[in-house]
This record gives sequence, structure tokens and C-alpha cells, in this order.
Amino acid sequence: MKSALISTRGLKKIYGKRDSKFEALKGIDLDIHSGESVAIIGKSGSGKSTLMHLLALLDKPTEGSIKLNGKNTSKLKQGKLNRLRNKEFGFVFQSFFMNSNDSVLNNVILPLKIAGIRRSERRRRALEALKTVELEDKAKNKANDLSGGQKQRVCIARALVNNPKIIFADEPTGNLDSATGAKIEELLFSLNRNKGITLIVVTHDEELAMKCDRQIRIADGQIVADGVSGAKHDPKLIEDENLDGMRDKNHTKEIEVEEK
Amino acid sequence: MKVLDIIHDANSNLWRSKLRSFLTILAIFVGSFTIILNSAINAGVNQFLDKQIENMGGEGYLEMMPKSTYDSISSMLNNNGIIEYTEERDNGETTSYIKDEEVEKAKNLDGVESFYLLSSASADYVTSKRTEKRYRAMMNLVVPGITFDMSNGKAPNTDENADYEIAINEDLAKALGYENIAEIVGEKIQIAVPNTLKCYSTIKRNECQTIIEATVVGTQAPGILSMAGSRANMALWNRINEINTEGLPEGSQHSYQAVANVDPEKKDEIKKQLEEIGLSAMSVEDEAGMFQTFFDAILIVFNIFGAIALVAASIGIINTLFMAVQERTREIGLDKALGMSNSKVFLSFTAEAIMLGFWGSLFGIVVSMIVGGIANKVATETFLSDFPTFQLTIFEPWTMISIALIIMFIAFLAGTLPARRASKKNPIDALRYE
Ligand SMILES: Nc1ncnc2c1ncn2[C@@H]1O[C@H](COP(=O)(O)OP(=O)(O)O)[C@@H](O)[C@H]1O
Ligand SMILES: [Mg+2]
Repeated sequence: MKSALISTRGLKKIYGKRDSKFEALKGIDLDIHSGESVAIIGKSGSGKSTLMHLLALLDKPTEGSIKLNGKNTSKLKQGKLNRLRNKEFGFVFQSFFMNSNDSVLNNVILPLKIAGIRRSERRRRALEALKTVELEDKAKNKANDLSGGQKQRVCIARALVNNPKIIFADEPTGNLDSATGAKIEELLFSLNRNKGITLIVVTHDEELAMKCDRQIRIADGQIVADGVSGAKHDPKLIEDENLDGMRDKNHTKEIEVEEK
Repeated sequence: MKVLDIIHDANSNLWRSKLRSFLTILAIFVGSFTIILNSAINAGVNQFLDKQIENMGGEGYLEMMPKSTYDSISSMLNNNGIIEYTEERDNGETTSYIKDEEVEKAKNLDGVESFYLLSSASADYVTSKRTEKRYRAMMNLVVPGITFDMSNGKAPNTDENADYEIAINEDLAKALGYENIAEIVGEKIQIAVPNTLKCYSTIKRNECQTIIEATVVGTQAPGILSMAGSRANMALWNRINEINTEGLPEGSQHSYQAVANVDPEKKDEIKKQLEEIGLSAMSVEDEAGMFQTFFDAILIVFNIFGAIALVAASIGIINTLFMAVQERTREIGLDKALGMSNSKVFLSFTAEAIMLGFWGSLFGIVVSMIVGGIANKVATETFLSDFPTFQLTIFEPWTMISIALIIMFIAFLAGTLPARRASKKNPIDALRYE
């Protein structure tokens, strides 16, 4: 069997020291496969964001291991971690996190600028990403002048501009009304389906969670349920069941995790 | 992230809080303006001194006096030019002259191209009606064609047939009893002039002295070029020389000063050899050097002002950037989440500091060049009208570039503190922060 894209064992996260010590994650074992769409669902404060930050290599676990493509990430140098996040991951946050005084285009360009890509090239790629989210006509607008739904689409454009393998979305529809939220969900799932991007969505919204291939339910820092949804939104569901092999075909480039 | 992007972003970030950045740049500007203008004045004055040296005989020109006279002048200079006259100590000292064998030796030194003895005038003391005290006199000739800066009155008339006129130092005027210095202008002072021949044959100095009167036409502020001496006009100088040398047979009149033209390459060596012979030699450069020392001291004071301004500006930079780091916490968090390294975050904030330094220096250069240009114009039309070729300020590109670079480096150092804080920010905390 193909090894998992992300694999965690005994993941613990403790915030604070001594008296104010708080165990946000109490030992998470998890395997996420390439091309999956996974919902991490749970009440507020259950540890969803903490888990996502660990999976996205934004933070280090207090205990336990995270393997990416079978390689342990704990020994990776900071520079390597930065490059992994920059090139292989995309991020979508509940409250957007945009540079609101900057233009839409510049916001989308940001990951490419950090990667040190040439001006003309990054402009071309950013416009392409904006096209995917149907906002190419807003490229020159100030980010602040957009509606909430448009802002989140810009953030999705920013998340996919570097052709990531995984998109991490933390409450992506939390700040949006349900109609707008539905469009954003649509967009994210189409990226998952059509580009084979692994989608990890953190949410407390049951409806959104059920649209994913798989739901990982968290309470008090522990996984209480991990299962495949019976109410999948997608008629292509049957294919999805044994899709791993296929997905790897149209998604040949693997994440490279070298240890240097 | 590319360096060009970092610089570009740093610059656009500055204009996000325009007033704050502007005030910081203004503080840097004050420092850079002061230092750049100082250096321009320094360059102008140096060029002027170089020209003066050439006008006054050039590099090979030496003025000589007996070592004893030189030492006596030095001690006067060290006492603000005011030493009370006593017969015991001062007898003879003021009349030491250049001896024949000294002339012979000096003439034969390797590198001495020509050697002249100058007629001289020496007085024992000066006094006035307002005081009992007598003060040792050091006489200089007002050479026609050289202008003086008078603090009161005017410069002595250089016509040979004029009345006896003298300009004296302000300190001497006070010592002579004129607390209100301006009052001495138009007053007569008494000068005791010795006759070499009579003094040779008498023990009582006062018996060989002739007292002559001269009108004080002006005073000079104690300063570098005026030195401690009094300045006699040609008529007075000639009269003193006449009294000094009366009765001496032709050819036996002594000289107290000599000039020589020497090979500039060997000048230092020759000066050393003259010193051994008993002659103290000064080149024009030495005299300019005294002025230079004084002038440098003034510049140092102004440069200290500039430096203090820069220290204050650095604190401004630190403050401005700490505020920027605080405001941009989320932005920094996002940059880092998207893979920007700590060192790039550090660089982007120091780049901002350097940009502040850059703009401050640039404005400093531009404004000091404008001010310097205006000052040049005003100066040549007024107090420097006698020196039409003298430029008060000269702006040398490399000097300005180096000053700007140093200021940018100081700004960078100031920026490292806030930049360090920015680079240490944890992206998670920044992203949770709401
Ligand atoms: N930096 C921190 N320091 C201390 N406690 C924290 C910190 N971050 C999160 N927590 C706590 O950890 C728990 C899980 O937080 P989080 O992962 O954000 O929950 P969720 O995303 O499920 O709402 C919460 O109780 C929260 O208060
Ligand atoms: Mg959360």
C-alpha cells in the first residue's frame, strides 16, 4: 500500500509551563493520503487549529512525530521547512490575512515573491491563479475594497499560486454568509478534484465537513471519530474510493523531503 | 526573496506612515546636513589655504628668526601675548639677531637655493598714559596688499609717508588700561625703541631707549592670523629700524629675520639643520597649519553637533521601526507562514532603516548644496570680496557619498534592534492574534 502523504504518531502539544500548562493535543495518530479531502471537525477550543498548525509545519509538537511522504520532519532545518511551506503548501484562513492596503495582484504574488521568482513570471502566474478564482478583472483593485467572499477567493488564489500539493484551510467559510461560503467550498473542492490537491479543512461546520471525503472528529485534543462520509456530495464518489493510484498519475511530482 | 524586492518593499512600507517616517528622516537630515556642510566648508578652506601658500612664496619658502626670538614669541603666544616687561629677564633677548656665521652655515646647506636677510624693527616695550605698566612689544610690519580683519577702527595706513600708526591686539588694549577697547582707537601709545650701538655700551637699558609715540588706529580680535603682535605701518616700522641701527657702520647692521627659498623635497631636513645652527624656520604651511588647527577645532564642534543629531536620529529610527514591527505583527506572521525566513524578515526591516538613512542623507546633500551655493554667493559679494577665487564651500562627490554611506550604516545599526524583534516573531502567535 502507498505510504501516507502525512502521517502522525503520538502527537502531543502542550502550551504554557508548570501551573499554566495546558495539553491542547493528547496524542494524535493520523494518516492522510495524497488527494484526499479531509475535514478536521470539532468544537471551538478542541484543538483543531493546533493540529493544523502542526501538520502544516508552522509549529513543532511537544511530543510525537510527523512524517511527510514517509520522511520524519522533526530533523528538518528551518530553511527547509520554510521552503516546504512556500512551495508545497497553500493556506486559507478564516479571517483572510491579506495586506489590505496592497493590490489584489500583489497579495496573490506574495508567496512567489518570497520564493524569489522573477517579476514577469510571478505576475503571469498570479493572474492565472486569479483567473481560476474568477477575479482576474479585480487584479488592480485594493484588497480592502473587495467583499468578504471575494477576499477569500483572493486568499485561495494566493494559496494555489505556487501549485501546492496540500491546501490547509482553517475555517475558510467562518466569516462568510452561507451562500458565499458555498461558493468558496465549491472552489476548494474543485481544486481537490481537478488538480488533485490534498485538502485539509478545519471547521466546526458539520455541513462543510460532510462534503469532504473523510471527517476527523476532535474533542479535547483527541480524535474521537475518523470516518468516511456516507453523504458525499460528489457523484464521482465511487471513483474516489480507489483513487490513490490515479491521482498519483496526474500528480506525478512528489513532495521532496530531503534531510540535509 | 530578491534583494531588489526587499529594497522596493522597504521603501513603499516607509510611506505607509508618512508623517512618522518624515519626522525620522528630518532628524537624520539635520545630522547629515550639518556634517556635509562642514565637510564642504573644510574643503573650501583647505583649497583656499593651498592657494595662499602658493601666493606667499610656495612650498619652498622659509622664514627664519633666531631660535631665542622664536622661543620668546612662543612663550608670549602661550600667555595670550601679555607678559610683563622686566629688565633683568628681557634684556638683550629681544635684540638677538642673526649672526654672520649662522648666515654662512645656512647658505651652504644642501638644498638652500637662496637666502636673504631682512631689515627689522625691534621695540622693547609699549605703554600708555593710562597705566604704569610696560608690556613687551612684538612688532610686525603691515605689509601693503594684505587685508586685515579689524574689530575696531581701521588697518594702519601703508603709505611710507603717513603718520606713525599701529594696530594692536584687543588683549593688549585692555592691559594698557582701555577696558572699553573702542576707546583706544585714536589714542597715542608710547613705544620704547632701543639703539643697538648704545645698548651695547651701557648697562642701563633705559639710557639707550628712545620713546616714540604712535597712534592706535585699530584693534584686532585675538585670533589666529592676527597673533599676538602689534602691527606697525611702514612709516613707524622704518622709524623703529632707524633708531635701532643709528650709528652703526654701513654693513654692520643686524638682521633679525631672514627668508630663504629651498628645495621643497628637502624642506623638513633643512628646517632641522637650521634649528641646529640656531635658526627657527617656518614655512607658509606651518603658519597655515596654525590656522588649520584652530579651524579644525571649530569644525570638530560642529561635527559633534551633527553627531549628536545623528544619535538622536538613530533613537528615532529605533522607535519608528519598533512601532512598525508592532503594527505589522500579522503581516510578518503571514510572511513567515508563507515561507519567508527569519533572516529575510530581519533584512526587510533593516532595509527600511537603511532607506530612512538614505533619504535623510539625500536631503542633507541636496539642501546643504543649495545652502552652500547661496553662502558662496553671499560670501564672495561681501566679506570675501578680496578673494574672488575663494569658494567658501566645495562639495566633493566622494566625500558626500562616503558620508551618506556612513549614515546609512548607522541607520542600519539602529534598525537591527527592531529587525531582530520582527525576525523572532512566531507566525502562529501572529496569526492567532486578532
Ligand atoms: N498559544 C497558546 N497558549 C496557550 N493556550 C493555547 C494557545 N493556543 C491555543 N491554546 C489553547 O489550546 C486549545 C486549542 O486551541 P485551538 O487549537 O485554537 O482550538 P480550535 O481551533 O479547535 O478552536 C484552546 O483551549 C486554546 O485556548
Ligand atoms: Mg481554530
